[in-house]
Amino acid sequence: MVQHRPRWWPKFSSTLRSTAVTARIGLVLGIAIAVLFVTGLLSHYQYEPWSWLPEPAKPVWGYRLTQGIHVATGIATIPLLLFKLWSVYPNQFRFPPIRSIKHAVERLTVAILVSVALVQVTTGFLNVLNWYPFPWYFPTVHRFLAYVLVGSILLHVGVKLPDIGYGLSARVVEADVLTEIPWRENPESHSIAGKLPPPPTPGISRRGLLAAAGAGVGVVILTSVGQTVTPLEPLGLLAPRQWTRGPQRVPVNRTAEQAKVIAAATSPMWTLEVVGPRPYRLTLADLEPTAVHEARLPVHCVEGWSVGANWRGLSLLEMVLRAGGTADSRIQLISIEQDWGFNHSFVEGPQLSAGLLATHLNRERMDVDHGYPLRLISPNRAGVLNTKWLGRIEVLS
Amino acid sequence: MKAWRIILAAAGIALGAFGVFRLLTELPTYSLLILGVWLLAALVIQDAILAPSVVGVGWLLRRYVPDRGRRFLQVTLIMSALITVIAVPMIFLRGTQPAVKALLLRNYGSNLILIIAIIAVISLILYAVRVARDRSAPANIS
Repeated sequence: MVQHRPRWWPKFSSTLRSTAVTARIGLVLGIAIAVLFVTGLLSHYQYEPWSWLPEPAKPVWGYRLTQGIHVATGIATIPLLLFKLWSVYPNQFRFPPIRSIKHAVERLTVAILVSVALVQVTTGFLNVLNWYPFPWYFPTVHRFLAYVLVGSILLHVGVKLPDIGYGLSARVVEADVLTEIPWRENPESHSIAGKLPPPPTPGISRRGLLAAAGAGVGVVILTSVGQTVTPLEPLGLLAPRQWTRGPQRVPVNRTAEQAKVIAAATSPMWTLEVVGPRPYRLTLADLEPTAVHEARLPVHCVEGWSVGANWRGLSLLEMVLRAGGTADSRIQLISIEQDWGFNHSFVEGPQLSAGLLATHLNRERMDVDHGYPLRLISPNRAGVLNTKWLGRIEVLS
Repeated sequence: MKAWRIILAAAGIALGAFGVFRLLTELPTYSLLILGVWLLAALVIQDAILAPSVVGVGWLLRRYVPDRGRRFLQVTLIMSALITVIAVPMIFLRGTQPAVKALLLRNYGSNLILIIAIIAVISLILYAVRVARDRSAPANIS
């Protein structure tokens, strides 16, 4: 079939490309996506836990760790993925473009894999940057595209398993060159020609290529991870968040202005209504004397930034007990913010017992952007579920 | 090996089909259409713009840059390209968020230039060392 290619058909002559190179990048990429899938599912559980297995409150840094890893890995996956696609680009130019129905199906599934992977990592990164140039609700599409992505990777690994086996077992410097001609049909491949001297790489070597790409991805991680590994913040030349520049040294995701709560939250007439078997009301004056519980807890966002902070406030459990609930109650916390999907949250189990209704952050009265006059902060709990600007607490059971 | 391939493929098809089914049932038609546009656009941008550009740059380097210097230039370009991909959206979105979010406040453009400059200087020093070594041992040319 090789000889029937038209003269103008693209030819790839770089000896850098090889199944041995691709298989190694693919292995790293596969591990990265497996990590992303698991940490992503762990985050999804925060939002929709089973009632018989409430989210634990320990370790307090659990969500910080898993989401920090998720976003750092996701950002690193973007250059990794592009590198992987570069390494197999000649495969797009096999001749004839479609050999059989089986080949057409394989190409279609690879096209799905590539496009889903690119859209998944791109929109994930745009979510970290809070930019939404698409009409859909990000979490839904990110979640279900993840299933399509992991599914098409499993299928791809199944289809390519012999090539992966060859690629990983072959030595990087010696393995067949990957061109637009499949190795099975290439008279110059080891598999057909037998043992050959390693293909010459007059410029960078294959090992150098892998090292350069690894170093590039390493720089990306090192200069962006300071948004969650707080001591590395000064190195964070490419970090989206900068915790030192948030009010009271904690960044904010939903501002009081976006939530349209500034007037209501700063009003001296603010009250907290607690509903349960023994309902009661708290005013601003009631908060101060009871806000004596302190905790050092990180704020950690699904978008991958986090920072440890000192919190002071009222014990959520004591408030619930006073309203006639118990440590086994299910509680709904409702913000004075209107019209937003996350203006309320549910808490039960360990996160109820460990929860704090915070009034102070880093030893100052909490800024209105952090939820003044009162917000929830509970360990190992996604940032957005720590409802701010509380107006009402309901003991549901 | 064959059993493994079948198990992997079957699991992959099942998981992927579940994801597609949930997307089709949970998203309104308009969102699905735009998602389709995004998926197609991703393929076109990768296969028709990004990948051919890299191939083109590689061809130019092979044609015009001598072997000895090329490998150092290649390392610089590979690292810089991979880092630039991440920096570009942040350069464009810088300053679009309320200040209290502490998000996208840095000068990503100058930071990117700084990072690339550091990589380039290190490569240049390594290249100079290489040239000096080759001069002192002219018999050992590679």
